[in-house]
Amino acid sequence: MAKNNNNHDEHRPNVGLYLKVFGALMVLTVVTVAISKVHLSRPLAIGLGLTVASVKAALVCAIFMHLWGENKVIHKALWITVACGAIMLLPLIDCLLVAQRITAPVSVAEQHPGGHGEAHAAEAHATEPVKVEAAAKSKPAAKKGGH
Amino acid sequence: MDRVFHTSFYMPKDIVILGQAYAGSGGGQPLLWQHLFWFLAHPEVYVLVLPPMGIVAEIIANNTRKPLHGYKTLVYSMMGIGIMSFVVWAHHMFISGMSAALGNFFLVTTMIISVPSVAILTCLIFSLKGGSIRYNLPMAYALAFLPLFGIGGLTGLPLGLTVTDIYLHDTYYVIGHFHFVVVTGSIIALFAGVYHWFPKWYGRKMNDTLGWIHFWGTVTTMCGIFGPMLFMGLAGASRRLYDPTAQFHNLPVQGWNVVSTYSAYALALFQLPFVYNFFHSMWRGEKTVENPWQATTLEWACPSPPPHGNFEKTPTVHRGPYEYSVPGRKNDFWMQTEPS
Amino acid sequence: MNNPDTHSGVTNAKLGVWLFLASEIMLFATLFTSYIVLRMGSTSWPWGWDVLNVPLATLNTVILISSSVTIVMAYARAYDKDKGGFQKWMAATLLLSLGFLVVKGFEYGHEFALGIGPHTSVFYAIYFTMTGLHGIHILGGIAVNGGLLWMSTVDEHWNNHLFLGRVEGAGLYWHFVDVVWIFLFPALYLL
Repeated sequence: MAKNNNNHDEHRPNVGLYLKVFGALMVLTVVTVAISKVHLSRPLAIGLGLTVASVKAALVCAIFMHLWGENKVIHKALWITVACGAIMLLPLIDCLLVAQRITAPVSVAEQHPGGHGEAHAAEAHATEPVKVEAAAKSKPAAKKGGH
Repeated sequence: MDRVFHTSFYMPKDIVILGQAYAGSGGGQPLLWQHLFWFLAHPEVYVLVLPPMGIVAEIIANNTRKPLHGYKTLVYSMMGIGIMSFVVWAHHMFISGMSAALGNFFLVTTMIISVPSVAILTCLIFSLKGGSIRYNLPMAYALAFLPLFGIGGLTGLPLGLTVTDIYLHDTYYVIGHFHFVVVTGSIIALFAGVYHWFPKWYGRKMNDTLGWIHFWGTVTTMCGIFGPMLFMGLAGASRRLYDPTAQFHNLPVQGWNVVSTYSAYALALFQLPFVYNFFHSMWRGEKTVENPWQATTLEWACPSPPPHGNFEKTPTVHRGPYEYSVPGRKNDFWMQTEPS
Repeated sequence: MNNPDTHSGVTNAKLGVWLFLASEIMLFATLFTSYIVLRMGSTSWPWGWDVLNVPLATLNTVILISSSVTIVMAYARAYDKDKGGFQKWMAATLLLSLGFLVVKGFEYGHEFALGIGPHTSVFYAIYFTMTGLHGIHILGGIAVNGGLLWMSTVDEHWNNHLFLGRVEGAGLYWHFVDVVWIFLFPALYLL
């Protein structure tokens, strides 16, 4: 990790550390597979899974890719990349929290005749503004049903 | 992949096209396509326009025989445009169903990005003041760039403002706007660059007469094609219609389509002198000296055409790149490589 | 000597590789974002354990992480100018990478035999697209690593002072491919 004075700019390898990280990665893999088998609630499952994945990725990036102790220029370039990637999530957040999701498909149950679904289905085939309401109404129901 | 492999990344459920149900499974979102496409394509258009702006700056400094006005402003503005270009993409999608809040966000960022663009154009125009202007072909193109790119940029403002964009989206006004910035903007600047650096590439000058024919023909026909589109769009003419006369409000402006078409054919014809000029001058053009434009920058310090390795020996740089008309010197330019 | 004579303080090659990886990060970020959008916009989404072969994918994860370790060991041997050691570890990396592709071949083969493809549903569309693109990147990595292994047999290349930088660059790319899989595996198979 630390630069040496061998006229190299490459990092001095630390084999002991590499093997320890290998062990940690194997353990974390087992952990993440085991967690997924237990039927946790959706947000908790996603949160835990992503956390474990992030830890594994951080280990690979910092130790194997020598990012720990690397020149600041590389770090800056990567932070800019992360920022660019993050702004892609802006419209997503808007879509989920702010706007009416008029592009979400009407759920299958709503489209089949029978029960109160028929009324919604009739509305859904009518004009665009009505479809918006139908989709918005069915969305909370669909979201609960789909998970 | 949606077309070839019948995936449904963008196809919503149960979509029916031309009477036939879609062969894939459905469940996709067209909005996804729009965001992905414009996230790429907006920075792309700044990729298209920033290098030509640099070319114009270079040629203006050279042919006014004075340093650029506001060089630092120019550079910081270009960097600012580069950064801001990543957060404006959804101004192409104001009527896609986004919430007003998100629309406002992109409205603000779009208005912000217009500021450095205007700053650059202003610096370039101010660079002309007090200059000893030489009206050669590269300068003609660079001068033409200024007002025409200005038109392109200014017509972009109503498109960036959400309220007016609701009316103008998907009309001919949009086509007029982006063609003004790219065609009368970038492409004119690229022609300027070709005429300017051709002597360096081939050691010969391009023919002036053919060049002037090309210049006047190209600039006027470009305006002839895209100018009418601006007011056709304001009249409400929509894009991508198979039969525009089906919309009643399009009828009064349909005549302008004829003007555009004839101008387009004329534009194509006016490129013939350029193509002939380019290839003829490569072999039979008037031979020229190493630095025919009396420029100061490094590329003019090597032979024309440059040999392998460009320079006979590594050049030493003694000063900045725009030392024109330095007081007290005999020559009106002072090359970077010339020792004091 | 590899004293980087640049303003950035790193060699041009290393900066170049990292900038390339930055663009690859954007590519996969786009796909991951699309995955999130499509999944949140769907009415139902299958659970990985039900529709995909998770044990096989877990094996692949272990294989790929191991190949990351073997390639960094190859770098360590190259740093000490140990040609035999480098070749041994690089060969191991190549074997593991090919193993990854073979296992993936079994996965895909089973799915194709059942008539499942990208057209079956949005889930399978994004699954095949992302794992397929990842697989193409593995192929590219195999080509580069194989090339380096061959180069180490040629004295002129092995003794070149730039060779270690090349090994490091290839390693950076390979670790990137591994990191993508580290996120891909839970996203598609487990969650």
